Amino acid sequence: MEKKDHNLYDKEGNQTKDRPWIFRTYGGHTNARETNKLFRENLSKGQTGLSIAFDLATQCGYSSDHKIAGPEVGKVGVPINTLEDFRILFDQIPIEEMNTSMTINGTSMWLLSLYIALAEEKSVDQAKLQGTTQNDIIKEYLARGTYIFPPEHSIRLIVDMYEYCLKNIPKWNPSNICSYHLQEAGATPAQELAFALATAMAILDAIKERNCFTKEEFEECVGRISFFVNAGIRFIEEMCKMRAFTEMWDEITKTRYGVENPKYRRFRYGVQVNSLGLTEEQPENNAWRILIEALGVTLSKNARCRALQLPAWNEALSLPRPWDQQWSLRLQQVLAYETDLLEYPDLFDGSKVIESKVAELKEQAYTEIKKIEEMGGAIKAIDNGYMKSQLVKSQAERLSRINSGEQIVVGKNKWKEALESPLMEGKDGGIFKINPESVQEAIKNLEKVKKERDSAKAEKALQRLRDDAKNGKNLMDASIECAKAGLSTGEWADALREIFGEYRPSTGVEGQKLALESDKVESVRAKVEKFLKENGSRPKIVVGKPGLDGHSNGAEMIAVSAKHSGFDVIYSGIRLSPQEIVQTAVEENADVIGVSLLSGSHMELAEQIFAELKHYKADIPVIFGGIIPQSDIDSLKKMGVKEVFTPKDYDLMDIMDHIINLCLGDKVAA
Amino acid sequence: MGTAIAEQDLDSLISEAAKGEKYPLARIISEIEKPNSFGFRKTLFTRLNGLGLKERDCRTIGFTGTPGAGKSSLLGEISKRFLKETQEQRMAIVAIDPSSSLSGGSILGDRTRLSIPARESRIYFRSQPSQLELGGVNPYTYHVIRLLRFFFDLVFVETVGIGQNEVEVSRLTDYSFLVLQPLGGDQIQFMKSGIMEVPNAFIINKYDEEKLARASFHMLRSTLEFMKEISASGNLCPIFKTSVLNQTGIDELFRFLQDIPKGREKPAETKEQILKWTKSEFGSFGIRKLNDISLDFNLPFEELEERIQKYVLDNVSHKRE
Repeated sequence: MEKKDHNLYDKEGNQTKDRPWIFRTYGGHTNARETNKLFRENLSKGQTGLSIAFDLATQCGYSSDHKIAGPEVGKVGVPINTLEDFRILFDQIPIEEMNTSMTINGTSMWLLSLYIALAEEKSVDQAKLQGTTQNDIIKEYLARGTYIFPPEHSIRLIVDMYEYCLKNIPKWNPSNICSYHLQEAGATPAQELAFALATAMAILDAIKERNCFTKEEFEECVGRISFFVNAGIRFIEEMCKMRAFTEMWDEITKTRYGVENPKYRRFRYGVQVNSLGLTEEQPENNAWRILIEALGVTLSKNARCRALQLPAWNEALSLPRPWDQQWSLRLQQVLAYETDLLEYPDLFDGSKVIESKVAELKEQAYTEIKKIEEMGGAIKAIDNGYMKSQLVKSQAERLSRINSGEQIVVGKNKWKEALESPLMEGKDGGIFKINPESVQEAIKNLEKVKKERDSAKAEKALQRLRDDAKNGKNLMDASIECAKAGLSTGEWADALREIFGEYRPSTGVEGQKLALESDKVESVRAKVEKFLKENGSRPKIVVGKPGLDGHSNGAEMIAVSAKHSGFDVIYSGIRLSPQEIVQTAVEENADVIGVSLLSGSHMELAEQIFAELKHYKADIPVIFGGIIPQSDIDSLKKMGVKEVFTPKDYDLMDIMDHIINLCLGDKVAA
Repeated sequence: MGTAIAEQDLDSLISEAAKGEKYPLARIISEIEKPNSFGFRKTLFTRLNGLGLKERDCRTIGFTGTPGAGKSSLLGEISKRFLKETQEQRMAIVAIDPSSSLSGGSILGDRTRLSIPARESRIYFRSQPSQLELGGVNPYTYHVIRLLRFFFDLVFVETVGIGQNEVEVSRLTDYSFLVLQPLGGDQIQFMKSGIMEVPNAFIINKYDEEKLARASFHMLRSTLEFMKEISASGNLCPIFKTSVLNQTGIDELFRFLQDIPKGREKPAETKEQILKWTKSEFGSFGIRKLNDISLDFNLPFEELEERIQKYVLDNVSHKRE
């Protein structure tokens, strides 16, 4: 039989089709019981893998009953405290058949330990477990903010997991090099390539240093490294980026790590397409954006993703509802099963255009990697603030382009007039809200477990964890023992905090500039000068990022823009309590407090901020920014919030204009 | 808000600040920081005395060094020890951050590296944007320190810089430290600028990479020994080796801080600051004019300021006639 170039053939030479990627929907909310229900519904709709979203408290190593956890329990994901929650979460779900992805980082080892303990209880051989713990701590320091321990200890936990998994759960990906959030934080394609690969190299270097594997085992271990990538709207370039990733990973693993088996050099990756570019304005347009972005990571067979999760069209408005997620899943199914996409070999092999673009991206990325290596590697480039400052810079440039109109975003800075979207007309207003009462269930479960567990056994397990942490033993066994003994997320993390300490990385905003000069900038600056003349000092803004939400891009851009406009800015980074933020504003006698929040807990945190201002008898005006549904804006304003900015307020100078007017107005009134 | 403070409100703000309330204190400081604060200061220091408040037995301490030397983190560690080992005392930190030159705005980042427990009334932290390009002390920093002496037992002034600024901080404070990082090239800079004699003591911070740090220590000591021979006092100043990472040397530094002797007498300090003010206000002409009048440096600063201003201006106009 004559073989044709446009057909795909299997090993025996029969014409075939490529297997579809794994369809995932990122999900989890309220409590384990509700999330279990969601998972079972999604699986019955044809979803083929689980992707668990954990709430911020779980991600940051706090149990649901901790004070800082309060506003966050069940918001952006499911709260998991003890093994009991996992029992409920996976009720009637055959975990031996599941490919389970956990978006978990600082507490990865703990969640994997719970999963192993659950498997044992269900008499499932742990060697059968399949899935991924995200566990990429570097991008947490850079962009997402759910780190707990300092870098060297975090890396140690990751290496512990590689060592344990290779020998006990060979199909588990202990970590996932995650460039997704780098792009969200502003990374250019070349930066995304370079930072992700430099991160992978840091992990492999640390594994090599431990010297716990034979050469064959090490190769296998390299083969377990998988990536989690972002795909933006420039979908041709994004496809080229994926091809560049594939080639560079092959080259790096071969030359730097001497991996001989090509199977272990394959660049394996999952994707969540870009949320950053989704707009609050005319949100229905996001459906097209998501489709185009999905093409970027599926069109090229040689660089096709192994698993795909799509955001929902309304992510810029609030957390998605089950229906919104179903709509995104249907897109994947149409693409994989209705179209002929999977019938062809790689469509772009031999294309001069693509080859040349890939070569350029590779060259830029290698140059950047070299720079990071000269600094002493990715960990050093975190510690000295280099990577963070590069990201803040790129993000500032991107926003400057959108602000100046150089980069068109349909419905946002061009073609803004549009008909009302009927999608927003449902009785829920098109947004999802969790029931605050059902959140209590997580806390009740925790109390019950604590009361009923064998406390001597629990204390013994915790002490072993501390001891092993101190004397450098692999912490997996001790963690699994903790899981079985009924310990909680907070107890596990606290024990390790005692030994490792907590980390505060560089904010990256110092020394940053906006590349933005326009009449608007001048007009804002003129008002700032007026303020200066009237008051003798520059307006002072405290930018705060309260609670556990670590998505700091918004706060960073406000800080940089305010400085650009002539404000004195105090920004102390993420995860501060409302009490700390207000104390700062009070001590500095700030003119305004700007609070950024994306996790949905704005009401609770606003209450705490006003309570604290009252404590100091201080009347400093407060503004809010973030993903805040229209219906909450009025309530916030009633509470006393002066202005609320959402993603549709993308024009930085418009925001600054509002803020300086507020400062000036207050002066006049007083 | 930083709205102007009416005179009748000032007394109550002062009394509240004296009780340890932070917001009233912050508002008073903002008022001092305004460019034409002379009138306010005059009233303020008069009222402070009028309300029977006295300066505490306060030590003011300067912390200067290059950016990245870890001054803020080190002060953070000192704060922790301060809270643990003292009971009634209160400490304040004034951190002067170098500002952006283009638009004039600045990002005051020192707070990032130093966290104070929520609602902690015994520590007060205040940032000031530096009005000079390379960091250094603001014209109003001295007056803020004068105020803080009424309410705090220990006041730190943190500045960035190499060169002249160290001199300024050492004039403002009872005792000043130069904070260096191992082999940052800092000490060479300092030797070149010839101001090695200015600080009372040195801290080699980030003393965690043993080899580097030790080399640094010996280099600094041999320089200082050389200085000792040519200097008048003939004393070798102390060198502290601290590491926040390894938690070494900080307890020792903290104990030393608690025993720091009071610096110059008040009139000497006032005289120095008055000369500085006169120089910046009227240049060498002003300084020459000072020789014509006899001044009692026990008087409040504002009173001297007023007298000099009047005298100098009167003399200028006489000349023109």
